[in-house]
Amino acid sequence: MTTKFENAFVLNVLSDDHPGIVSAVSEAVARLEGNIDACSQTVLGGYFTLIMVVSFAGGVNSDRLTAEVRKAHPGGSDLEVIARPFLPTSFQAKEHRADRFVITVFGKDRPGVVLRFSRYLAGKDINIVDLFGDRSGDDFVLISQCQIPAGWDISMLQADLEEMGKELGFTVRLQHENIFVATNQLRLTH
Amino acid sequence: MLSTDEILSTIQMLHSEHLDVRTVTLALNVDECAAPSADLLCRKLHQKIVSGAGKLVGVCNRIGRKYGIPITNKRLAITPAANLLAGHGQTAAIMLAETLDAAAQECSVDLVGGFSALVQKGISPADAVVMDSLPEVLSRTKRVCASVNVASVRAGINLDAVGRMGRIILGVAEATASQKGFGCAKLVVFANIPEDNPFMAGAMVGSGEPEAAVNIGVSGPGVVASALKRKLQLGGKLTIGDLAEEIKITSFRVTRVGELIGREVAAELGVAFGIVDLSLAPTPQVGDSVGEILRTLGIAKVGAPGSTAAIALLTDAVKKGGAFASSSVGGLSGAFMPVSEDAVLSEAAATGSLVIEKLEAMTSVCSVGLDMVAIPGDTPPETIAAIIADVMAIGVQNQKTTAVRLIPVPGGKVGDKVEFGGLFGTAPVMEVRNAGASKTFIDFGGRIPAPILSLRN
Repeated sequence: MTTKFENAFVLNVLSDDHPGIVSAVSEAVARLEGNIDACSQTVLGGYFTLIMVVSFAGGVNSDRLTAEVRKAHPGGSDLEVIARPFLPTSFQAKEHRADRFVITVFGKDRPGVVLRFSRYLAGKDINIVDLFGDRSGDDFVLISQCQIPAGWDISMLQADLEEMGKELGFTVRLQHENIFVATNQLRLTH
Repeated sequence: MLSTDEILSTIQMLHSEHLDVRTVTLALNVDECAAPSADLLCRKLHQKIVSGAGKLVGVCNRIGRKYGIPITNKRLAITPAANLLAGHGQTAAIMLAETLDAAAQECSVDLVGGFSALVQKGISPADAVVMDSLPEVLSRTKRVCASVNVASVRAGINLDAVGRMGRIILGVAEATASQKGFGCAKLVVFANIPEDNPFMAGAMVGSGEPEAAVNIGVSGPGVVASALKRKLQLGGKLTIGDLAEEIKITSFRVTRVGELIGREVAAELGVAFGIVDLSLAPTPQVGDSVGEILRTLGIAKVGAPGSTAAIALLTDAVKKGGAFASSSVGGLSGAFMPVSEDAVLSEAAATGSLVIEKLEAMTSVCSVGLDMVAIPGDTPPETIAAIIADVMAIGVQNQKTTAVRLIPVPGGKVGDKVEFGGLFGTAPVMEVRNAGASKTFIDFGGRIPAPILSLRN
């Protein structure tokens, strides 16, 4: 991605969820005469987190940016705010050589499930681009959208993941994302 | 990015409700295998099929794994065998069928369709060879499926061919008496046979089709029934229109699975992607039933008044959802009512709530016709022919495909249950009322003229 100005930051805000957080962060960026280049937020278990790429024409630094965000929000000391310089990473270039797959994991909850699967994926250079996990009663569901580098034999990955699931008492599936796109969206494939 | 709800609903459809791709059918034009000697014809045919379809099963399995969806059947359809048999006799016809059987086995495909003849206006000598060899062909081969088109909107109904098929169906039943007449499960009599049908036993490659194409049949009765039950459990005041909407949405999703798989299989095989057939194809598995959908729509006993209206609603909603999901819809695309293959229909037939006449009425608003219906083995050939004529008339007058797959069970009496096994299920032997009362009509022969369709009332 590209930013409007060269002096860019990635900004992360964590707080309990309530109205006005996005407004406060946007206010802070405006006061510093900056631009919001990209943003994404989510709420989990009553907690809010926001990741934003912002850029500035002037000489803003990380400390000034985080201070301005806290100042813009009433009770700003309750916000966890982190800002660090934004550098376009080399990973984006790899996206073109990877196919997107979805891993779904269902079973009785126990500690270490995310660790086992994420460790396996990391070992295969598989990038997790979206992760959802939820405990309901004793059951746990984990859904991970991943980029699998071209060259891996999918049936071998499936065999590994299914075996790992068996050991942990989980049903594990690895499926190409287009089956989910085709059955839910107006387009057939991504 | 996909949402969690999207992923979970697809997982439910695929894995809890057992959606599968019922069939990937590779359609092959084999007309170039024609040869003056039967030996050469069979050698060319074997080579053509093995080189065209050798990779089919492997490709389907790999793509099925990639998307996490089983492809239950991999099948082949060929151009009508009668095209190859011009100038040949029955010995060549049987050799040809055995070659098809062996080549299909070599490629690990489940069934091969296209031992067919198109006789709606007249029977050529090659057509006669195909038709008359059916008892021997269907008893000597395992994977060969046959179809005969005896009627069309433009030609009318060839009553000579209908009468002949009445006798031939009994001949096939006798030739496979040790299997309770099972050979008849591999033989369909059609009006307006589709050129691109992927479902057996009626798959064949009609004129105007590409040299090779992949045609897809999806399943989905279980998925539709589950979606309706979920909707009903949510409570609230629902009208029948709300349920039709739910069927439409489900059909869209089911069809998309077929489209995705079909396009990828075709690309891998380097052939054209043909069509997705929207037909809901039931299996004997509990819940995977068109009858169960009717029950969910409020018809307590399938066959009761309201059944025809309910199946009309179902078929129409399936078409609407499917047509939006794919621009390549074809084949039969309706609701299948195969009595033995659908546990609820089979039970309804066994208890007497579903009778042949009601199945005929339902045929007029859905697809296919009398499918996998077991009848007593002593039913007269003219009565079988007259049943065929009735179903053909529905197809011809309504400009739609209709078909008959009757199984006269040798020695079978009304109320007997015949176990065919696997996807073919259990068939109760159904009563044929007024047997023997149609002989004079059938014996007239000739052709019922093509209908006038401009006066629509």
